[in-house]
Amino acid sequence: MATPGQGSGTGSQPNRLETGGLVDRSRIVRFTFDGKTYTGHPGDTLASALIANGVSLTGRSFKYHRPRGILSAGSEEPNALVELREGARREPNTRATVAEVFDGLVARSQNRWPSLDFDVMAVNSLLSPIFVAGFYYKTFMWPSALWEKLYEPAIRRAAGLGRASDEADPDTYDKATAFADVLVIGGGTAGLAAALAAARTNARVILVDENATLGGRGVDDGADINGNPAHEWVRTVEAELSSAPNVRILRRTTAFGTYDGGTYGAVERVSDHLAVAAQGVPRQRLWRIVAKETVLASGATERPVVFGGNDRPGVMLAGAVRTYINRFGVLPGRRAVVFTNNDYGASTVAALKRAGAEVVALVDSRAQISDEVKRIASEAGARLLLGAVVTGTLGKKRVTGVTIHTRTGEEERLDCDLVAMSGGWNPNIQLTTHLGSKPTWNDKLLCFLPGTLPHGMSLAGAVAGDFTLGKTLVGGTSAGSAAVTAAGYAAVSVPVPKAADESDAVAPLWRVKSPNGKAFVDQQNDVTESDIELAEREGFRAVEHLKRYTTLGMATDQGRTANVNALAIMAEITGRTIPQTGITVARPPYTPVSLGTLAGHHREKHFKPTRLPPSYRWAKENGCVFVETGLWLRPSYFPRPGEKDWLETVKREVTTVRNAVGICDVSTLGKVDLQGADTAAFLDRIYMNGLKTLPIGKCRYGGMLREDGILMDDGTVARLGENHYFITTTTANAVKVVQHMEYCAQWLWPELDVQIVSATEQWAQYAVAGPKSRELLQKIVDPAFDITDAGFPYLGVGEITVCGGIKARLFRLSFSGERAYEIGVPARYGDALMRRLAEAGKEFGACAYGTEALGVMRIEKGHISGPELNGTTTPRDVGLGGMVSTKKDFIGHVLGKRPGLVDPERPALIGFRPLDRSQRLRSGAHFLKRDAQATAENDEGYMTSVAYSPSNGHWVGLGLLKRGPERIGEIVRAYDPVRGGDTLVEVVSPVFVDPEGVRVRG
Amino acid sequence: MANQTLLATSAFLHWKPVKALNFTVEPRETLTMASFAAAKGKKDALAAAIRAAYGADLPKGSGRVEGNGIAFVWAGPDQWLAIAERKDGRDLESELKAALSGIASVVDQSDGRVVVRISGSDARAILAKGIPVDLDARAFKPGNVAITHASHIGVILWQIDDKPTYEVALFRSYVDSFAHWLLDSAAEYGV
Amino acid sequence: MRIACPYCGERSLDEFLYSGDATVKRPDFASPTAANEFVSYTYERSNPPGMHRELWYHSAGCHAWLVVTRGIATHAITSVEVARDVALNEKPATKDSI
Ligand SMILES: [Zn+2]
Repeated sequence: MATPGQGSGTGSQPNRLETGGLVDRSRIVRFTFDGKTYTGHPGDTLASALIANGVSLTGRSFKYHRPRGILSAGSEEPNALVELREGARREPNTRATVAEVFDGLVARSQNRWPSLDFDVMAVNSLLSPIFVAGFYYKTFMWPSALWEKLYEPAIRRAAGLGRASDEADPDTYDKATAFADVLVIGGGTAGLAAALAAARTNARVILVDENATLGGRGVDDGADINGNPAHEWVRTVEAELSSAPNVRILRRTTAFGTYDGGTYGAVERVSDHLAVAAQGVPRQRLWRIVAKETVLASGATERPVVFGGNDRPGVMLAGAVRTYINRFGVLPGRRAVVFTNNDYGASTVAALKRAGAEVVALVDSRAQISDEVKRIASEAGARLLLGAVVTGTLGKKRVTGVTIHTRTGEEERLDCDLVAMSGGWNPNIQLTTHLGSKPTWNDKLLCFLPGTLPHGMSLAGAVAGDFTLGKTLVGGTSAGSAAVTAAGYAAVSVPVPKAADESDAVAPLWRVKSPNGKAFVDQQNDVTESDIELAEREGFRAVEHLKRYTTLGMATDQGRTANVNALAIMAEITGRTIPQTGITVARPPYTPVSLGTLAGHHREKHFKPTRLPPSYRWAKENGCVFVETGLWLRPSYFPRPGEKDWLETVKREVTTVRNAVGICDVSTLGKVDLQGADTAAFLDRIYMNGLKTLPIGKCRYGGMLREDGILMDDGTVARLGENHYFITTTTANAVKVVQHMEYCAQWLWPELDVQIVSATEQWAQYAVAGPKSRELLQKIVDPAFDITDAGFPYLGVGEITVCGGIKARLFRLSFSGERAYEIGVPARYGDALMRRLAEAGKEFGACAYGTEALGVMRIEKGHISGPELNGTTTPRDVGLGGMVSTKKDFIGHVLGKRPGLVDPERPALIGFRPLDRSQRLRSGAHFLKRDAQATAENDEGYMTSVAYSPSNGHWVGLGLLKRGPERIGEIVRAYDPVRGGDTLVEVVSPVFVDPEGVRVRG
Repeated sequence: MANQTLLATSAFLHWKPVKALNFTVEPRETLTMASFAAAKGKKDALAAAIRAAYGADLPKGSGRVEGNGIAFVWAGPDQWLAIAERKDGRDLESELKAALSGIASVVDQSDGRVVVRISGSDARAILAKGIPVDLDARAFKPGNVAITHASHIGVILWQIDDKPTYEVALFRSYVDSFAHWLLDSAAEYGV
Repeated sequence: MRIACPYCGERSLDEFLYSGDATVKRPDFASPTAANEFVSYTYERSNPPGMHRELWYHSAGCHAWLVVTRGIATHAITSVEVARDVALNEKPATKDSI
């Protein structure tokens, strides 16, 4: 017989049994809890190690700061929430019942101040009348101004769960996708039997289990399979599955969500059981598992009974008591009272007796029980109290006894240090309900069973209501065979392991009448049965109202030990049946998932991919400041030594372009190659302006609309051949435009012959702009090509060669208003071409310029860009009304003519300059008539883009103003309450430089 | 200086070669590539022209074939990517334009895309960390092609042999981000 | 959700973009009632329970536009067709057919 003691190998763990359990007794690990050092063994959870060391108080409760201990032995734990680790790795609200101990683990209790033993906030317990259900709503309603300053900070200080670390998480997280013919969720006896039956057909099988070791309840109960201890069968099956190349076992992995199409989310805690993850190994991994068939073998969770003081440390679920004895070899108490409404009381009594504990009494709410149970109780020397209930617990930080209400109505006190309670079992049906399936109530088993299952899912074991060991093995084997057959494999006959079917008889007992003290339903959120009564009295009878009013089931454990009891109590109060009262449906995740795991590799600057333009390296070497445009890093400006701010740099870049020549990387513009006999017709239907007439070797500015008549994008269209066009889009819209074109080509007009290929990345493209641009280009363009104004006029396009035969494309286009070209070379030559242009440009005083200078120059020229193409503007709004063809069909033609879109009152593009030329302008400012009040009714439009214009020596702006083009010369207010701006501006032509457009043609 | 030729810049400037025991990554630097798409009504003519010129049967759906030193990789409905070594001045854009005149549109992709060869027995597990396609030997074999994404970066992926060796084509500007993801994912395997 | 692209095979939802009702047809711009027809085509949608025919785009895959028949309550997909083929079948061929 095993007895707790201080024998060899147990260190000083007073409650470690001499023998038994699956922990590795040959090794000792040291950990601290609240600063005190303890020892445990590999294989222990923090909870089992604390029990071994006689620690029963692990935290304070959320609302009343009551002492709390360990209730369960699994992921359903509502009470034993602790902080693990220190510094940057400090992690709050982890369950001691699933956290594995390791050498050097630092754990702390939480929700107590200043210490766990002496907690100031426990006074809440005395003030409990004001903390009843709905107290937030009632107490802190008025005056609302006090919320932010008084109520909320106070509540947060008093009610916090643990503290998250303030430091950046030093660990890495990972994501991966896996595919399976059969996914088995749960590695208990049912899941193992199912995995084995499936694996023997050579199908691809994935088995996930949330624990470090497989076996589940069968091992926890110390039962026999095929005549030997269950864990030996588990070891044999595990060995076969582990060595099979078609099987992947994911231990420490919780399947947390069911998604459409046989997709499951799971978290693998790869390194949580280690002090620090090994080099290169993630802390946790997020799995997306796609399975043809899934066997859900997720087991069941035991229900507490609702009686007075049922939250006191030392009150534990009966199944957990068996787990601590059989799996971990620790004894949670020496003098136990077992309180139950079902036949599992017998196995609890037997396990306690076997482990050397005194079983004071078996308290069973049923008046009649089987002779077998009676025999076991009598063998254990336990008093049998039938038709009796525990009404309350004695003790403060640890139970020292219970009060009993006997069948004959007497009160009795029993001394004990452990209460093992069982109210029956709830199948873990959560994953069956994530897609909306409703569970059904089973009156015999007294639990919800899964309703219609998601496509491809089947059940095995306790989740199906098969609670007994023999049934889990039969059900698991047949579910595995059926699933693998459905996945397209010929089933292989697998012998069903043999095990006894213990009795699972149960009778309803949800709460004890007239409890002695607070009787908790939801221990994590401190919801009592009287809170449920109060909710009922105040009309919150529907289950969803009950939850929100009392916060029942809304803590991090999602009420796994609370929901069904609450429902049953509400049913009892209202005189309805449980299914009439409501059902519990869960949403993912089944257990909490950390944000780091969901983010995976995608954090900080790797949140999304970065695209680097071809001459990124050159720009970096030259001190470039970059700006993010979509995924791209684009050169923004190139500061030189001595320049005091970006404005000075940008002024210099603009002045250089206007007076000499500048070079700008425009490779990020979207580029699309279109070919096919109907390309011209196709483009004519996409662009608002006519393109059929564009001569070969020429390019044209083009705009495209959405079907609702609003501008979508603009760019240039170049005709390289009869049936060959090359278009550019804005950087931001490149992907969207290709998608739009493919939509048109595949869906709207599939009869057209057009092939669309993105060529954005093929070409490194540079704008060479300024009066000396042709002279600079002359240095690199091969002599065979004539780029004189006669040979290559404005809006010309040519396929040429540069630098001795490198193929290139030359476009004579200008965004700056100066004589300008865009030259494209294959991307691998981009960096070298940029270097060559910078070098060759020295004699002309050339400089590189970025998007800032580009932006200034386009504003000076009144060209539109992103701020004007903002999803609300029509061509007419931005001064492009004249471009819109009236002759042809094109996307946006019909709806663009709607009265509201051609209303002359609509704000339209015009230029602005400050009346006081020294004032700066702000984009976003709204326009008001000079003397108008700043009201929404008087709003006449807004400033879209502003820049300091070096060419004018003052700020200039573009904006959308009601009847703008008719109001040149008028003074209006540019009103910017957000930044405190109120500036008088003059309405002027939007072209601030070279209004006749002479320079661009040279 | 004036008209000296320009030197090509590698897309893989920031890469370090990866040669672990069970995982190697090798950029393929010297490729010529062109995409081509069948003109309307010319699918059969295109297949015949490729067969005549290169002795290869263009894959109708997802797939990769070889002929005369060119790999033809399916790149979408009625579209293929042709890939060959860029030696002796071979230029697939001009070569295919000549061979497929009037039956397909041809676009140079030699610089737009880069190709990375990934090989070794750890490759499947590492690629599974970003590529949501089933690469198990039962599901994906040499000659198979998938157009998908790797950690949000668009890729065309195909398998070369059973080692397994894969090649991934991606747009040039994503190379550094791709490398970061790949090396991050490989770290667990001692790379 | 998983969509079986006729070209690429079954892929996850994150490779696709949803793009609305596949049963509306772009009207003729020259129709005398074009203005109303385009308003209806662009804006007016019924949203009955049950199966919908929807346009999806395999954006992170082969770039094919697809017509997906899907139950909006169950997410059950009963067919995935190539949009180009659907469009050509519904439209009298005006040119030589493929
Ligand atoms: Zn596809």
